[in-house]
Amino acid sequence: MRIKAMVSAIVMASVLFTTAWIDVVHASTPYEAYNYNYWEEAVASPAAFVPSRTVGGSDLGIEPFLEPNDMVIAPSGNIYVADTGNKRIVVIRPDWSLDRIIDSVEGIGAFGTVSGLYVDEDETLYIADSGLGKLIVLNKDGSVKLIIDNPQSDIIAAGFKFTPTKVAVDDAKRMYVVASGVFEGIMQFDTDGEFLGYIGTNEVKRDYYEIIWRLFSTKEQRSQMVLFIPTEFSNLDIDHKGFVYATNIDLNSPTPIKRLNPSGEDVLKRFGYFHVKGDIRFRSSVGPSIFIDIKYLGDGIYSALDSNQGRIFTYDAEGNLLFIYGMHANQNGTFKTPVAVEYDGVNQLVLDRAKANIHVFKPTMFGELVLEASRLHYNGYSEEAVPVWQQVLDLNSNYDIAYIGIGRSLVMSKRNEEAIFYFKQGMERDQYSVAYKRYRREEMKEQFGTIMTTIVIAAVMIIGLMIWRKVRSKRQGRTATYSAGRDQAL
Amino acid sequence: MKQELIRFPFQVIFKPFSSFWDLKYDNKGSMKASYLLIAFTIIAFILQKQYAGFLVNYTDPRAINSIMDIITVVIPFVLWVVANWSITTLMDGEGKFTEIVKVTAYSLTPIVIVYIPMTFISRYMAQEETAFYYLMLSIASLWFMWLLFVGIMTIHQYTVMKTIVTMVLTIIVMGIIVFLGALVLSMLQQIYDFIYNIYRELLFRT
Repeated sequence: MRIKAMVSAIVMASVLFTTAWIDVVHASTPYEAYNYNYWEEAVASPAAFVPSRTVGGSDLGIEPFLEPNDMVIAPSGNIYVADTGNKRIVVIRPDWSLDRIIDSVEGIGAFGTVSGLYVDEDETLYIADSGLGKLIVLNKDGSVKLIIDNPQSDIIAAGFKFTPTKVAVDDAKRMYVVASGVFEGIMQFDTDGEFLGYIGTNEVKRDYYEIIWRLFSTKEQRSQMVLFIPTEFSNLDIDHKGFVYATNIDLNSPTPIKRLNPSGEDVLKRFGYFHVKGDIRFRSSVGPSIFIDIKYLGDGIYSALDSNQGRIFTYDAEGNLLFIYGMHANQNGTFKTPVAVEYDGVNQLVLDRAKANIHVFKPTMFGELVLEASRLHYNGYSEEAVPVWQQVLDLNSNYDIAYIGIGRSLVMSKRNEEAIFYFKQGMERDQYSVAYKRYRREEMKEQFGTIMTTIVIAAVMIIGLMIWRKVRSKRQGRTATYSAGRDQAL
Repeated sequence: MKQELIRFPFQVIFKPFSSFWDLKYDNKGSMKASYLLIAFTIIAFILQKQYAGFLVNYTDPRAINSIMDIITVVIPFVLWVVANWSITTLMDGEGKFTEIVKVTAYSLTPIVIVYIPMTFISRYMAQEETAFYYLMLSIASLWFMWLLFVGIMTIHQYTVMKTIVTMVLTIIVMGIIVFLGALVLSMLQQIYDFIYNIYRELLFRT
């Protein structure tokens, strides 16, 4: 009796403690992290990033931010915030102390509406000021290096008003500018501010329903309708190879994220189960993801910020959705109007315009492992990635990319039979087929003797059986005729 | 039974004209064998969903439901037979109801004899070879339609044109039956609701 009571007490206590512990873990993220499985269902997943702190203007000892519009982290680690409402640019050191404030430019005076920023390795600051209609390039010491305010070219219309909103710069110091009212693509400038041309025009989407509707409408009605115009880009980033990652606000497009090569073609790899377009499933009242910022994390990995639901989607080089986090809410670590996402090498930073602060997200063990394995895989260290993927699977056994990653490494080391299992777990049919074909060939080679022996024995047996049946039927026929003759005789 | 279930179906699929003639005038083939063929068809579909190779099997294992497989075979079958009988009675068809059942069931033979082996062969296929799997399945379906066409033509003693027209009409009638069925069901539902409401009203009032 007493033993029973003790056992039940222990059980009760353990249940109590474990639930308490689970609660603590669960409370650490205000949002529910999830990912999509092969069947396009949203399934719960461990969070990859958790909120660690929020930083506003007052935390830096300055006036609070007012409607900040963009944020960029320099290769040196300095954080540049476009504090648009206060007409200034705030530079923060990596240890979250104030470095300096830029509020005017010599020769121009105060800023208009700073909407986009970019910083290169030399700490040269590129400012897209849509209020002034100027692209301002400042040296590290604050002196003006270049100002583009009226690009000239044969392909630019005469009355064109230059309104740059976002900017990015590649290793050759070519500037890529997203300007509002420009539907031809991203504007490209060389180091001296000379206009080079447009790259990456968004294709016009044909709406057949609309075309038919147009056929039956009058000229007046037609003039009232929306024009078929390509959508504008919303933001951009540059990867280490000088390719441009660009997002556009094209609702219901399967390709809202593009990776443009130097000739402007979209070369983003989309080998995942589904389109690289954020949420696969959403209520029609909520609508699809609207990407307003993109950040290249290195090694082919990129994060895109969805302003519709306040989520950050991270993809690997092959277009697999690695993880999703974030949401719209009022708690710490949730967003009201997220406008920019950045990555300092460890943490992800999200700038919130309405809350006027920077959310810092630190990676969890799960997030770190996934990123590490993806990086190893991207750089060709498939074998080294296997133990990391195994750890990922310990944390989330539904993580298909980990199964595929392990499978690939197994195929390379010719362990085809095991690879088949992992590809099947990861629902990766093409790779499965490759592994299976190799496995089948090996098995055939190994079992060749047995198979041939079986065939020969079977053939001999069948022929023997046929001969035997023939002989028997002949003999039976003879006895039949014999008995028939006897019957007749009788 | 052996005769009807093993030899006759094979005779049907290779020599449909003479076999269906025998079915009508020599009383070959039986209802029992027809039911068995339908059962085999259902089993073929269930096996395909469960055991087809990974490369060709896009079925969500959680969504496999044998009851649904039974329904998706039996209901169209019954609808087809009833609709065809209704149409051909009006259009001077000579076939009897049992003959339509038998012809339709025997026409399913290619599906049974192709689907079941292909399901198991598909487990040993690589990506490039799956085309063969899909080819075989298409052949089975076309073969089924061909047999059904010949069978309907033979038992009703129709011309080719008339057979095609009746088959199209049969499909339309199948739709009408489904529509009427849904209508009757929803009306029964409303009648039930009405009576139930009266009952509840009476309960509250007294």
